[in-house]
Amino acid sequence: MASVSSLVAAVTYSKPRLATFWHYARVELVPPSPAEIPKAIEGATNIMKAFQSGRLGQTTVKDAFRNGLVATEVMMWFYIGECIGKGGIVGYDV
Amino acid sequence: MVPPVAVSPLIKTARWSALFLGMFYGKQRFEYLKPIGAEERRIEEAEKKAREEQERIDKQLAEGNQDTQILTPSSIGDEPGA
Repeated sequence: MASVSSLVAAVTYSKPRLATFWHYARVELVPPSPAEIPKAIEGATNIMKAFQSGRLGQTTVKDAFRNGLVATEVMMWFYIGECIGKGGIVGYDV
Repeated sequence: MVPPVAVSPLIKTARWSALFLGMFYGKQRFEYLKPIGAEERRIEEAEKKAREEQERIDKQLAEGNQDTQILTPSSIGDEPGA
């Protein structure tokens, strides 16, 4: 019986937190819709052009730090995908 | 509560494509490493068997030697166990 009540307690604890998580994730973490992909390609070409024209050298340290954090986060998604693909968190289970 | 941020499409595509690329890479690398792991385990098994066989032989030899005394010219005429 104790496990049932602890389960109920866990559900009541996590429900509002899941609600806030879903409230943000529904906007921020969704995959891009097909309409947004051309904009993404446009953004990438903008970066390439800025790199070629040398404008990237004028970014402030604050902006560069922020972009570095974003790039790190994107890289972490790659590692999470690798963990999913290899079926384990640490190491390959051969 | 702070309103959710509108994330740029570039970042969204980058994240999700990184996720799928990572899954693909993980699966491919796992499939590449699997036969190598199996081979290494097989070799380890064979070596372990050979080692255990050798240990068994050595143990038998050691047990066989306990009762006998190795004869050297200076030990002839000694009492057993001397």
